[in-house]
Amino acid sequence: MIRMFHVFKTFPNKIHALWDINLHVKKGEFVFLVGPTGAGKTTLLKLVYRGILPSKGQVIVDGVNLSRLKLSLVPYLRREIGIVFQDFKLLYDRNVFENVAFSLRVVGTKNIIIKQKVNEVLDIIGLYEKKNTYPHLLSGGEQQKLCIARAVVSRPLILLTDEPTGNLDPETSWEIMKLLFKINVWGTTVIVASHDKLMVDKAQKRVIRLVQGEVVSDARKGIYAKQ
Amino acid sequence: MIRSTLFYIKEAFLSTKKNSVISLATVICLTATLIIVGIFLVISLNIDLFIANIESQLIAIAYFKDNFTEEEIKKLVEEISNLKGVKEVHYISKEEALQKLKEDLAEHEDILAGLPENPLPSSLEIKVYETGYLEEIASLLSQYKGIEEVNYGGELTKSLMSIFNFVRKIGLWIILVLLAIAILIMFSVIKISVHSRQQEIEIMALVGATSWFIRWPFIIEGFLKGFLSSLIAFFFLSKTYQYFIGQVKEIIPFLPIMAGNEFLIRIGIILLFLGISIGVFGSMLSLRKISFEEL
Repeated sequence: MIRMFHVFKTFPNKIHALWDINLHVKKGEFVFLVGPTGAGKTTLLKLVYRGILPSKGQVIVDGVNLSRLKLSLVPYLRREIGIVFQDFKLLYDRNVFENVAFSLRVVGTKNIIIKQKVNEVLDIIGLYEKKNTYPHLLSGGEQQKLCIARAVVSRPLILLTDEPTGNLDPETSWEIMKLLFKINVWGTTVIVASHDKLMVDKAQKRVIRLVQGEVVSDARKGIYAKQ
Repeated sequence: MIRSTLFYIKEAFLSTKKNSVISLATVICLTATLIIVGIFLVISLNIDLFIANIESQLIAIAYFKDNFTEEEIKKLVEEISNLKGVKEVHYISKEEALQKLKEDLAEHEDILAGLPENPLPSSLEIKVYETGYLEEIASLLSQYKGIEEVNYGGELTKSLMSIFNFVRKIGLWIILVLLAIAILIMFSVIKISVHSRQQEIEIMALVGATSWFIRWPFIIEGFLKGFLSSLIAFFFLSKTYQYFIGQVKEIIPFLPIMAGNEFLIRIGIILLFLGISIGVFGSMLSLRKISFEEL
């Protein structure tokens, strides 16, 4: 599903964010991307949804070489990828339902289908009761769930989440994790960038560890790292 | 298609509402600009009418002394007709002259009521092909016996034309500068509007909206502002102009001036075209690159 061959990313300020990354994430896999702040986790996720292009090397997503993907076709790639951000990126002047529906509206989905799909996903995520509430009235955990709902409402092939449990208490974090496992079971490839040691260790999934832009370990049923 | 269009329109209204103060300021600025442009348009179109009027009056008028016989007149007409540059010679009798004056004065005809006898002389109207011939013909005519006086608007016409052309040129430049300013205003406002909706744009781009899908609401926003501004500007201009015409007709009844609905509709269409173009063009300019990079 996702392949990277000798990927380097250097930003204009000469900072090497990623250094010779080679990895292969298969369809339906659940992968943790761990490492300290500034290790290049977010940069790696951006490469997958073509938020940025690599300075060197190839990124292939669902058989498409992103360096050769025309700019006009980027939106169609993005429709296959759900993204959950650390900073939520919610629309605070629209209620829960509209926030989720927004991602379907912009791709021209029919209203009747929007209604059906949004209600369904809100029910799964556990926000159906709050569908008329505005985001600023939701707790941190609920806002995170809302982001997930928006990311998966179109049933993407890939779900990318950046620090989904960042500011949440352990209980809520685990709830979010369970939700991500559930989505993974649907067949969606899930990549979670995290430095939540507790969650990573508990999950017993594949763990790719980045340090200063380099992959230092890649383990099946891995743990965060020895301290 | 309809679904997307509805979405665009809804988003455009939402954005206008969100930035209501800026939106209002834009509409006011754009309206003011369009009004000024409209005023210059009105002046320019009226100058065109003036010039057309003057050009149709490239004539020399030779006034006869009263003791001229029919035969002499006939002979003279023939002679003049053969002169170089003469297009048409037309004899106007004393009676015709009076009749024409009455028509020109229209409702003010009563001024003439107190006259004991027709004071107007009979005359020859000589139309020429070009202004240049007027002087020559006039000097020739004044040598004839029995001709009291020859009038022609040669110098006056020339200087009037050059003044009008100058005013028109200045007007055109002012219009161009104003339009550029208006586009800049629109450009900045849509930029602000884009900035205030950065989050939405970012989300749209991330969930797979095409760049045109993202642009349309802003273009519609520009369109609506342009449309509204031109409507207000047109309403203001047409009311003011109608009032102005009323006043002018009262004071100078024979002044050729553009009036009537057709003229106003013409101005309206031009303003509407300008307003919408500025709105849409300004938006497009500020949306040149909605980037998928660095999200």
